[in-house]
Parts: sequence; C-alpha cells; structure tokens
Amino acid sequence: MDKLIKIGGWLHRRAENVAVAMLVVMFAAFIVQIASRYLFNLPVGGASELTITMWLWVVLWGAAFVLRETDEIRFDVVYGSVGPRARRVMTLLASAGLLILYGYSLPAVWDYVTFMKVQKSSYLDIRYDWLYSIYIIFAVAVLIRYLWIFICAVRGRGLSELQRGDGQT
Amino acid sequence: MSLTDPFTLSILSIVLLCILGLPIGHAMIASSILYLMLAGLDMGTAAEQLLNGMFSSYILLAVPLFIVAAELMNAGSMTLRLLAFCNAFVGRFPGGLALVNVVQSIVFAGMSGSAIADAAGAGKLMQKMMTEGGKYPPAFAAALTASTAVIGPIIPPSIPMVIYALVSDASIGFLFLAGVVPGLLMGLVQAVIVVFSARRRNFPVEKPVPLRELPRVTLDAFPALMMPVVLLGGIYGGATTPTEAAAIAALYALLISAFLYRSITLSSAYASLLSSARTTTSIGMLIAGALVFNYVVTVENIPSTLSAWLTGFDLSPLAFLLLVNAVLLILGCLLEGTTILLIIVPVLIPTANALGIDMVHFGVVCVVNIMLGLITPPYGLLLFVMTNISGCSLRRIVREVLPFLMALLVALLLITVLPGLSLWLPRQFGYSG
Amino acid sequence: QDKTKLRFSAVFSEQDIRADMMKQLAGVVGDQFEMEIYYGGTLFKQTTEIIAIQRGNLEMGNVAPQDIATQIPAFSILTSAYLFRDAAHMRAFFASEAGAEMKAMAEDQLGIHILGPTYFGTRQVGLNIDKQITTPADMSGVKLRMPGGDAWQFLGQSLGANPTPMAYAEVYTGLQTGAIDGQDNPLPNVENMKFYEVMKQIVLTSHLVGYDLLVISKKVWDALSEDQRTAFQAAADAAIDWSQAEHLKREQELAAFFEEKGLKLSTPDTDAFRVFAQQQYLDSDIAKDWPEGMLDRINAM
Ligand code: NA
Ligand code: NA
Repeated sequence: MDKLIKIGGWLHRRAENVAVAMLVVMFAAFIVQIASRYLFNLPVGGASELTITMWLWVVLWGAAFVLRETDEIRFDVVYGSVGPRARRVMTLLASAGLLILYGYSLPAVWDYVTFMKVQKSSYLDIRYDWLYSIYIIFAVAVLIRYLWIFICAVRGRGLSELQRGDGQT
Repeated sequence: MSLTDPFTLSILSIVLLCILGLPIGHAMIASSILYLMLAGLDMGTAAEQLLNGMFSSYILLAVPLFIVAAELMNAGSMTLRLLAFCNAFVGRFPGGLALVNVVQSIVFAGMSGSAIADAAGAGKLMQKMMTEGGKYPPAFAAALTASTAVIGPIIPPSIPMVIYALVSDASIGFLFLAGVVPGLLMGLVQAVIVVFSARRRNFPVEKPVPLRELPRVTLDAFPALMMPVVLLGGIYGGATTPTEAAAIAALYALLISAFLYRSITLSSAYASLLSSARTTTSIGMLIAGALVFNYVVTVENIPSTLSAWLTGFDLSPLAFLLLVNAVLLILGCLLEGTTILLIIVPVLIPTANALGIDMVHFGVVCVVNIMLGLITPPYGLLLFVMTNISGCSLRRIVREVLPFLMALLVALLLITVLPGLSLWLPRQFGYSG
Repeated sequence: QDKTKLRFSAVFSEQDIRADMMKQLAGVVGDQFEMEIYYGGTLFKQTTEIIAIQRGNLEMGNVAPQDIATQIPAFSILTSAYLFRDAAHMRAFFASEAGAEMKAMAEDQLGIHILGPTYFGTRQVGLNIDKQITTPADMSGVKLRMPGGDAWQFLGQSLGANPTPMAYAEVYTGLQTGAIDGQDNPLPNVENMKFYEVMKQIVLTSHLVGYDLLVISKKVWDALSEDQRTAFQAAADAAIDWSQAEHLKREQELAAFFEEKGLKLSTPDTDAFRVFAQQQYLDSDIAKDWPEGMLDRINAM
C-alpha cells in the first residue's frame, strides 16, 4: 500500500511537470508570436495555434491529473457545515452522479473525438482527433478518480484528504 | 415547463450536485450531459461544445497569461515593493493596511484585466500581510480583498469589456476609457467603508513611513509602477492588443524580477508556474462548464424568452437600466460572469439600443454588474477564490463582504443614473455618443 | 402530420440582413417546416457547423466555403482572391454546369446539400495609413490583418501585403494603435465593428467576393418529396436574391457614408492585382488541389 502511494506521488509530480511545461510552451509561443510580428513583421500563425492548443490541454490535463481536491472550486456552504457522516453520504451521492453521467456519455464522446479525424488544424496540420484526444484522457481520468473517491466513501476510509470544511478549525 | 422536462431536471441537477460538493465545473458538465440524454440529443455534444469553445476563444488566453503575470510578480518581489509603496502613502491612516488593499487594487487594475488574477496574485499577499500577527480578522481581509478585486476589470485593461465589445459592437478603445472614472468611484466607496470599519473595530494604524523615505520607496517600486505604463502605453501607443498585453505583462514581470531585482530563482519560478497552472485549471474548468451549459440554455431558447419578457414591460430607459441591474445581479448570484456576458447581455442589447441607451455606457453598467456577481453569494467566483486562499469558510467571508457589497451597489446606482460618469472621459478623446 | 424540424445555426447576428433572409425563408416554408434559427454562433461556433450537420446535430447552416475546403481541398479554388469579379459573376458560376460539379462534390463527400451562395459584401482593404495604393507593389510591407488560418494568410500574401492574423474582436484596437496597418472586410463589417473610426482610407481592391453557402443536411433533403424540394429551393432562391440586393444597396450607401466621415476612398489598378494574385495561387501548392481547368472555365464566364 505504501509503495502504491509512493508511486502515485511520483506520478503526480510528473503530471505537474507536464502541466508546467504546457504553460511554459503556451507563454513562450505567445511571446514568439508577438516578437516576430512586431520586431520582424513576420507573423507566425503556428505559434498562435500552439498557444491555444496548450490552453485547452493545460486545463483538461490539469483537471485530470494535477488539481488536488482542495484546489477545486466548489460550493461548500452546506458541505462545510455538516458532520462527517453526512459528508460521507454527500460524497457518495455526488461521485455516483458524476460516474453515471460521465460514464454513460463516454461512448458518445469517443464517437465525437474520433469523428474529428476528418479535419486538420489550419497551421500545424494536426488532425483534430489528436488535438481533441485530451478530452478522452480527461474523461477517463476523472472517472477513475471519482471511482476511487466513491470506493473510499463506501468504505469510510481514506477520506481524510477529502476533508475540506472550515479551514479555521 | 414541468418538473420532469429535461431542462428543469438539468437545472435541479446542477443545484443538487453543487450542494453535494461536486466541483462546479463538473456539476455543469454532468448536468448538461443529463439534459442531452433526457432530450434524446447526441451526448458527444458536451465534448464538442467544450473543445470547440475553448479552442476558438482566443480572447480567453488573457486569463492564464494574466495569472502567470501575477504569480511572477509575487515570486519576484514586485508585488511586495508595490505594496510597500502603497503603504508609504496610505498606511499611516486608520485601517492603514485595509486602505492599502484598496489602493493596491486600483494600481493593479491598470495592469491586469482579470479580477480573479488580482485576488489570486496581489490579493494573496494582501491577505497574508493583513492577517500576520493577528492584525485583521482573516474573514474581513478576505472579504476586502475579494471586493477590491472587482475594480480590476473596470479600470483598463479589461477582459470582460473586450468580451462585451465582441457581443455589442461597441468600440473597445472607448469602453476602456469609460471604465476609468467608475473604477475610481468604486475604490472611493470602499475606502469610505474601510475608514468607518477601522474606527468602529479599532483596526491598527501602520507605522508612518518618514517623508524622507518616500523617494526611496518610490524608486524601489518604480519598475513595477511602470507596468501599467508599459501595458496601456502598449495598447494605446500602438504596439499590442489587449490579449497580447497580458503576455507582455508576464514577460515584463519575469525580466524585471530576474534581472533587475534578482529575486527569482529557478525553483521559485517553477513553483509560481505550477501555482499558475493550478489556478488556470480551476478557473478553466468553470469556463468549460459554462461553455457546455451554454448549449443547453441556447437549445431551450432562454435568451429569446427573456428578451420577449423584457420588451413586454414598455419601460423608460432608466427603468430598463434598473431592471437590467436587478436581472444581472440576480443572475450573477447563480451564473459565471463570462456566461452572462455571452448569453444574457446579447439578449438585452437590442432593447437597450431601441431605447436609445448609449452602448458604451450600457457596457460599463453590464460589466460592473457582472463584477459584482463575483462577490454575491452563493455563486461568487471571488468568494470561492478567497475561501481557498484564506482558509476561512464561505459563510464568514460573506458576512464580512456585505457592507462592501452595499457600498458597491450605491456606486452601481450612480454609474447607472449618471451616464456622464462613464462617458466624460471617452468624450474628451473624441467619443461622439 | 408533424412539421419537419430544421435547426439552423449561423454566425451572423439577429440584426444582420441575412437574419431577415432566414426569417423570410422560414415564413415561406413554414407550413411544412419548423425552423429553429440560432444566431451569433450561439448553438455551434463558427467553422464547426459542417461537422454538426454531418453528425446529425444540425439540419441547416450558413457555412463558409473555406470550411468546406478544410475537408475537400478542391474547394479552395472558390476561396481564392480575384476569382469572381462581382456578386453576379459568382451567382452565374453557382448556377452553371461547373457550379453543379462543385456542389455535387460537397453533397457526395460531406453529406450536405448546397441551396445557394449567400452574398454578404465584397472584401475591401481598409488602412490606417496614408500611403497611396495602386498596384500590389504598393502593398509591400503593409501589415494587413487577415483572419487566422493558412488559407486566409495566403490571401493576404496574394495582395502583396504582409498578412497578420488577429482575432476579429481585437482588430479595432489593433487599427487604433497601429499594431496593424489595415484590415480586409466587406464595408458592412467595417461599419458594424466601427473600424472606420480608426481608419484613414479604403482601397476598393474588391479582392474577394464574400459569400457563404446556405446548406441543408443531405439526409433531410433526400427524405423530402420532389415537390417539397422544388418549393423549398424556390423559397431559398427568393430569399437569397433579396438578401444579395439588400447587401449591394448597403455597400453603395456605406461608401458614401465613409467618405462623409472623412475617409479617402480610391480604386486601384484591379487588373494588376488580379494578374498578380492569380499567379501567386497558381505558383503555390494550393492550386494543385484545384479541379483541372476550373479556373479557366470561371474566368471565361
Ligand atoms: Na485588493
Ligand atoms: Na455571484
């Protein structure tokens, strides 16, 4: 079990590395685009496409692998003011809802993303099914993550990292 | 509309999943999928709307770029120097640091186009400074940081105004200018509340910075103070567009911190980029959720229904504007700002036009409303951000934010009934409206 | 019997002339079809409508020929500079045998039936600098904003300019600040977006006859009876004709309006521009995908 957590921690840090790399690429491509336009009067369309691709990827990648439960933006008025038993039930219901809806729609999502192979991006000529494959990665990762949360809630264990009530107590 | 129709059920689902504590972005996506499923539509559309929406919203790139800029300013002590500068001038008054918080937001508004970036960047530091050694109650500091951050997008540059220009065809240049006076007014009313609270609650005064120190503090902050000049000079003087200004801001912060202040290391740069990536993701997921839910709202023809309802009243321009305020404030409690700008405001524009309301003035009114939505419970993005930063519960922050919200509502009322507040400055620059 | 539901998505706003065109069409076919019209790209974003039709999530759209070209490269000929002389030439092409061949291509490969081209104005160069423009050589070094994408950038290059991509919403500030020297749009867009406030002159290059294609899902189209199709096509033609006439009228009014606002309007040597532009295309990889002899057939019309 300890080893599993260790490996998980290592993977999480690598996921963070990737997210930071995406952000750096986005920023750098943007600067290159501005510089080449203003300094050399030579616009680089590929750079702007890379920028927007990284924006899409960093958000979905981050949501899949980088965000910790405490980083999520949620409406915690009720959740923060009830006891641990009620929290467990709420977590159970919320993750069940997500699992059913994301899970049930997964084939349709797969169908859409793979359909996009008919188009290529306008500068870098990347096929859209590749550009958009991040959504599949995102959906599957979120499903696995919420399955884990659901199981923890059922067993009533491992929920400590999910505690996110009143930070002052 | 019955309780079993897909739209009602999807709305109920959002409310329920949010209350149960699911992250808001996921709640909106999941509930949109529920709608598509019940309405017998292609569920792949959820992915389609999210992906195409994110991929075509070039303007939204300003959001992560401004976040990176703010993080780099913090990591590289630019923010600290700026805060020291603000402190040297207003710290000596009762509630000194709280006033610094107000002035800080006005100064930073000239560099940043996003309220979230202000709260997550300089706001984070203000929160730390105000609560260090128990000077101010954390919830008060968080509430003040949230409510001052709304000034960010009123004073140019401004992401919401760019989006408004997109849906209204109003001129971005004049819109930006129109925000200056209202932004200062919003700072002023908040300063008034701070002074009153300081008297009543006995907030501390900062040790006055001696007059002979002022030149040094100013010089120290000078490169940071040049940021608005670089930015707005860039936009108005002929170098960059508003989105590009965000990237320039980040680059400027990086260069100043690395080479002039020499206060940034590789590891602190990595840490601030990671933090930027987290913030970008959290906020990006909210936008993603709104993009998907937009589809549901559009399919259900909510905009045209609302438009028909509004024209049914046969209102005077002022009454219409007041009604718009009410509608946007209520929606602001429930929806995210970009969603409102992209879905609701276009519905109001034809009516406003027909009533002869100036489109630039209308834009300022709409954007101020949407910014107030960021601090109105239960759905207030800035409140969530500050919950995250301060560790205080939403409940406590909401209680402390109320006086500031009231003051800002007074400012909103003035901005609504006195178009001159918005239009005076653009007119000095040749606006004919 | 239930009416056939037709969801239509377009990028233009409800205030646009083409919105009235769609309302006209919806009215005429209203006894058999229930049209749900979504404006401003609110249902499906610009460039994504074709995929939505292909996947059965949309029945009708007003799509750019450029979007068809992303899936059928041969269509790029219909997006090239100085192909059509004016709206009438463009309409004549789509009514011709050659036009039918192109339309069949879209029908077979994408499953969309083209009802007709919807004219929205001819693209003209608008500049915020004083430079006199007569030939493509005068455009050298001019930072001309063009829409994003290789095809559009090439169009700018074929005018002799330095094309620069920039989001549509940023063009106003771009012109105001001098980040760009100019933009190319039809005159109604220049008025809509208030670009004229920050421009000094308009060069009437007429380099691209702007039109979209009113399309309907082939599946839906094939399911109609012969009579229904004839009636629908007639209604579409009438609406398209009306909209085109309105646009031509509007362009004339706007030319006068911009002069009144102090802008300088000039007509360059369009023949010099035409020769230069067509040569640029023929020398490039883009023309390799063009149907054999199509350019000559169009030029001869
Ligand atoms: Na502040
Ligand atoms: Na709110």
